[in-house]
Amino acid sequence: MTIITKNLQVLGGSVGFFIEIMSSSAHTFRNREEVFNQTLHVFWQSLLTTGFAGFFVGAIMALQFTLQMEVFSALSYLGGLVTSATVREVGPLLIAFLLSGKIGAFTSAELGTMKVSEQIDAIRCLGADPIEEVIVPRFFGIVLASFFLLTVGLMCSLFGGILMASIFAGIPWEQYIRHVPTIMNGFSLTSGVVKCFSFSLVIATLCTYRGYSVRGGAKEVGEGVVQAATQTMISLVLADWVSSLILEELLNV
Amino acid sequence: MQSADPIIELRGVGHQFDDLVVFENFNLKVFSGDSLVLVGPSGSGKSLLLKFMTGLVAPDQGEVFYRGQLLSTLSKKDQQSFLAEVGMLFQQNALFDSMKVYDNLDFVLGEAKPDWKSSQREAEIVKFLTAVGLDHVPQLFPGELSGGMQKRLGIARALVLQPKLVFYDDPTAGLDPITSRQIIQMILDLKKQLNATIVTVTHDMMRAYQLAGEIMVCFPRDFIKTGGKEETLHHSNAKVQQFIHGDVKGPLEAL
Amino acid sequence: MIEFKNLNKSFGDRQILKDLNIDIPQGKIVFVLGMSGTGKSVLLKNIVGLLKPDSGEIWVDGFPVHEMSEKQMSQVRKICGMVFQQPALFDFIDVYENVAYGLRRHERLREEQIQERVVESLALVGLKGIEKKWPHELSYGMKKRVSLARTVALKPKILLFDEPTTGLDPISTSRVNELILDLSRKLGTTSIVVSHDMKSALSVADHIIVLDKGRMLSQGSPTDMRNSSEHLIQEFLQEV
Repeated sequence: MTIITKNLQVLGGSVGFFIEIMSSSAHTFRNREEVFNQTLHVFWQSLLTTGFAGFFVGAIMALQFTLQMEVFSALSYLGGLVTSATVREVGPLLIAFLLSGKIGAFTSAELGTMKVSEQIDAIRCLGADPIEEVIVPRFFGIVLASFFLLTVGLMCSLFGGILMASIFAGIPWEQYIRHVPTIMNGFSLTSGVVKCFSFSLVIATLCTYRGYSVRGGAKEVGEGVVQAATQTMISLVLADWVSSLILEELLNV
Repeated sequence: MQSADPIIELRGVGHQFDDLVVFENFNLKVFSGDSLVLVGPSGSGKSLLLKFMTGLVAPDQGEVFYRGQLLSTLSKKDQQSFLAEVGMLFQQNALFDSMKVYDNLDFVLGEAKPDWKSSQREAEIVKFLTAVGLDHVPQLFPGELSGGMQKRLGIARALVLQPKLVFYDDPTAGLDPITSRQIIQMILDLKKQLNATIVTVTHDMMRAYQLAGEIMVCFPRDFIKTGGKEETLHHSNAKVQQFIHGDVKGPLEAL
Repeated sequence: MIEFKNLNKSFGDRQILKDLNIDIPQGKIVFVLGMSGTGKSVLLKNIVGLLKPDSGEIWVDGFPVHEMSEKQMSQVRKICGMVFQQPALFDFIDVYENVAYGLRRHERLREEQIQERVVESLALVGLKGIEKKWPHELSYGMKKRVSLARTVALKPKILLFDEPTTGLDPISTSRVNELILDLSRKLGTTSIVVSHDMKSALSVADHIIVLDKGRMLSQGSPTDMRNSSEHLIQEFLQEV
């Protein structure tokens, strides 16, 4: 019972926090330099991991599909299937998990530390709104960087797929990408982009919220980070399920 | 000159951070039963000195001896007996947050004396909790205690194995003066009971006077033993005088 | 200048401040002494609206702080600077930007004017030429003084200090005390200093208030304190 009420509290709190961020985001333009810096920071911090993971996802998917499709001698569709699956499902989810582990944890720890070392209070006393000055740039930094990272991740996975296909299945790269446009249609692309967007909102909201609501000392910062991480993971899976459901309804019927 | 061998000795210790030399050919002997207090401006190396003595940090040059044995080359077995004879109170207490007050001591005792019966451990734990005035709250968690009480628990845990040598890193940081004075009195009482040697770092001169023993005022590359309260107050060195009285003007540069 | 009327504040079922009535006159240095956990910091945070009272009134320079919104509070925060217990420097910007932070938000100044004020404030706390350094490169005492410069840069009418000398060695303590005196003399600042340190209080304060368990135990001049028969004050006096 307490677990349920606790989680409902977090849900309510983070929705409220999200609304607060949105109503403060009118000033985002004034803070565009800071938003740009944050985006760049998130992007560079996660570029290598995302690229690396993307590459191997492409490679693994290609390998798995090869084994299955050889049976039906449908190997010419391999590239299309792998790419489509990566774009609409595996890519966004994987990048979201990476981001939540790396940037999410970093952001909640950073904000929690600012809170317990009275930096947030100091911002208020010096005549600024901490939501506008600190939260909004980090929030949009995560959301914007997610898109760029998704693009990079997908490119790398395509590359990984091509490499794996040519080594293991002996499919030349022209043949691999020939059916990419046929199978990876508008639906896959929309689905991927929508998911990436909703996942990044989940990460950005939960991690800034948990960090910002830390109270106490160093120990509470740690607890806040752990909670942010687990709650983000669970929320991501839920968000994936909900968005798949909605997308199917909207685009397939 | 004391006839006994020193319990801890530093010989020719040198240490630097990047190009900042903090220690240069530094020697120190601490004898059994001493109460040595390290004071000084921040960045003078007093906390580092404490870490050399506990073996947590090895100096760049020079040697640290414990009862005549070189600390850096102790065998695993000797190292264990060294650790069993040494108690340390960290600045942040380093209490086990997930364990109750009683279990914080029980854990340490259980690890070190696995052959003890639980009734034997209980008697020992109650004795120490009573000594630090926490015998009425054995079932609370550290997070439920006030700052002063957490410090008391930290001290009880540092002492429960009855160490012969105890290090206190700023034991009254963040506490109000009245609580601080009680804590120091407690440290002194327990020192007497356990017949221990103690080394304390503090930034508070009132606490240093209360503890000494012998005060050592630490400046970078210059460590001056000034003696007890009266000797320190009347010490001839101008830097010492400036520091202990907190004069803004004097030979010490702005810190 | 600052007035508390029947102020009450609780956290959960712990009542921290009980029915406090305090009147702080303009231009004076007032020390608030007491043991840990008696609500001294809570009192300060109520003045600048970082915490809201459960009941009672707080008047700051004619503003009814107890009924003002977060937006309206910026008028009060502009004249009322707070120096936190921890240095609370922003670690994502350098010393110059830390000191300029409030100036950029509370006032419309040209960059040359900002620079002038930053250099002036840093000089006031005895730190020259460290504008380009980052907070993590400074010692604890220096951080505390930069945080003081950040607050002083706004030239507030009222300065609130939360344990300004805790954790400082004797020399740094004297320096901070001199600074509080200096600001009061030169700029006519009203100062409230929350502290454990009776020695500093006796040498700097015009008026001393002693809190015990959220209530006013005693108040008066340093001389009154020296002659007090209250047990708690006697205990504090042993530290002098």
